[in-house]
Amino acid sequence: MGEDTDATPTLNHRGFLPDHNYVTEADIISTVEFNHTGELLATGDKGGRVVIFQREPESKTEPFSQGEYNVYSTFQSHEPEFDYLKSLEIEEKINKIRWLPQQNAAHFLLSTNDKTIKLWKVSERDKRPEGYNLKDEEGRIKDISTVTSLQVPVLKPMDLMVEVSPRRVFANAHTYHVNSISVNSDYETYMSADDLRINLWHLDITDRSFNIVDIKPVNMEDLTEVITAAEFHPHHCNLFVYSSSKGTLRLCDMREAALCDKHSKLFEEPEDPSARSFFSEIISSVSDVKFSHSGRYLLTRDYLTAKVWDLNMESKPLETYQVHDYLRSKLCSLYENDCIFDKFECAWNGSDSVIMTGAYNNFFRMFDRNTKRDVTLEASRESSKPRAVLKPRRVCAAGGKRRKDDISVDSLDFTKKILHTAWHPTENIIAIAATNNLYIFQDKLNSEMH
Amino acid sequence: MLGRGVKRKWSCLEEAEVVSEARQLVLGLCLEKLQRYQAGVELSLRRSVLLINTLRQIQEEMRSDGVGSCDVHPDSCLLRDDFREDVTVTCPGCSEGESPPELPSQEANGSDQQKPPAAVSDAVNAMGYLGDLALDDIFEDIDTSMYETSDLPSAWASGSLPQSHSTAGSLQSCLMDLNELDHIMEILVVETHLVGPGLQNGFSL
Repeated sequence: MGEDTDATPTLNHRGFLPDHNYVTEADIISTVEFNHTGELLATGDKGGRVVIFQREPESKTEPFSQGEYNVYSTFQSHEPEFDYLKSLEIEEKINKIRWLPQQNAAHFLLSTNDKTIKLWKVSERDKRPEGYNLKDEEGRIKDISTVTSLQVPVLKPMDLMVEVSPRRVFANAHTYHVNSISVNSDYETYMSADDLRINLWHLDITDRSFNIVDIKPVNMEDLTEVITAAEFHPHHCNLFVYSSSKGTLRLCDMREAALCDKHSKLFEEPEDPSARSFFSEIISSVSDVKFSHSGRYLLTRDYLTAKVWDLNMESKPLETYQVHDYLRSKLCSLYENDCIFDKFECAWNGSDSVIMTGAYNNFFRMFDRNTKRDVTLEASRESSKPRAVLKPRRVCAAGGKRRKDDISVDSLDFTKKILHTAWHPTENIIAIAATNNLYIFQDKLNSEMH
Repeated sequence: MLGRGVKRKWSCLEEAEVVSEARQLVLGLCLEKLQRYQAGVELSLRRSVLLINTLRQIQEEMRSDGVGSCDVHPDSCLLRDDFREDVTVTCPGCSEGESPPELPSQEANGSDQQKPPAAVSDAVNAMGYLGDLALDDIFEDIDTSMYETSDLPSAWASGSLPQSHSTAGSLQSCLMDLNELDHIMEILVVETHLVGPGLQNGFSL
């Protein structure tokens, strides 16, 4: 893979002083997403804010500062709400952001918290009209008697201003917590999935949605499985996939029926009876599912592994990658401290040849599907000086043979988890969210996808 | 109790104990997590479902292994109460909230001790009860001639299990005697319950 990644300067999400180890809950990044060209990168946080970064155009004079990401816009997407019926607070935390493909000068993105999805328009203003007849420069109404001639207002350049405005609010359609949103390839519809239901929306219509999946049992006491993630196929607008807490994937075809409770395909790996433990089900729960760019494969993440599935083969995954198998003997402690319920996301690179996912101790892993080589890297201030090359890390089993710089399993910091990662759609640029910090790494040596 | 028959392999016993201990630990954690509840914040349905499934799995295993009485009802009531759609408006603290959180803790306490099989525990209790009475008076009609060769009856009568003794009698015969003692003990317990306290004499085997 030739992994020599350069570290661009760490983008501290909220500008905290580097020598303070202080994290406010509200600043914890909860989602990261590149837009379709990779020019923009959006992050959402626990406090309901969205920050958009824009890549600077490459400059011939300063070749090394090409392609850095700087803050483009910040806005408050969701506010905390109170559900009076249930006496419960609705968190403002942004669970997911998804960009719409760009169709005109403006950019559009969908952001969602547990209950409500919003469509935001992000547009630039770099000109403003000047020379009104009835208003003066400050906007005050002129005294008509002072107007002696008419003039035509002209557009004059101004400092660039980025305006963000809410265009649609899709509310009151989810009883349970929304975990996924996915824009359809028809660019007209999108879906939102909660624990038990998936709804299909038209981007222009906010007062109704269509329920396309419903796994709620008549008697809630019979509930044994929930929906964990869902995504539309990148090319076929009738196909989508959803994953469950029991480790299954279901591919559904909206042409078959209005309610897609019957799957077209069910992807499930038979359980290995020798590996069975109390925690087998919990660790098999799929935390994220992503179609490959080609649409031919599915990438899933469960607690200990990442798996690549071929859409044509339902019986077992094509490839299984061990993310942190050294945790297998620690499952009881991880159950005790609730870490076993952590939901890690996963990502494909642009050419579908490399997959990436996060782990603990601010480590993240990349697996090259062709060469079968893998690497563990760390996202931290200490190891990420600008222009530094990231050093591969290694975790050794407790008491095992230890090389210099290796970390023992017992010294891993389980509070430093990398749950959210994103890969630029065409280049070797990755965005890693480590608690309240955003790291962007670029592979300057191998900027083209292989 | 020691009985006639095959002596179990130590490793099997050990393994079974370890599994059982692990099971108890996870069971306890499950219940603790299900009970833990932050006022005003909705529980994650995924987490609750996974916890309840684990709990059910442990219960199944315990049931199939014959460890009887820990019948902890899975906290599916948590699912029902918190996530009902057509919620009738009740003030917090009324009706729904009261019993479900209580049940698990009571039953958790109950399941903490490994409950021995019912007959033995009853016998143990009865032994304690009987120990207070003048046993000689009760048993004066019993023919104890077959036990005269060992000092087991006296040990038994004093309410404690037979201690190891250095008589020439082989371990095997001792075991056989103990087995028959168990049998007699059970009958006595039954008879005593039938006779009731207060009646000092007047029955024979």
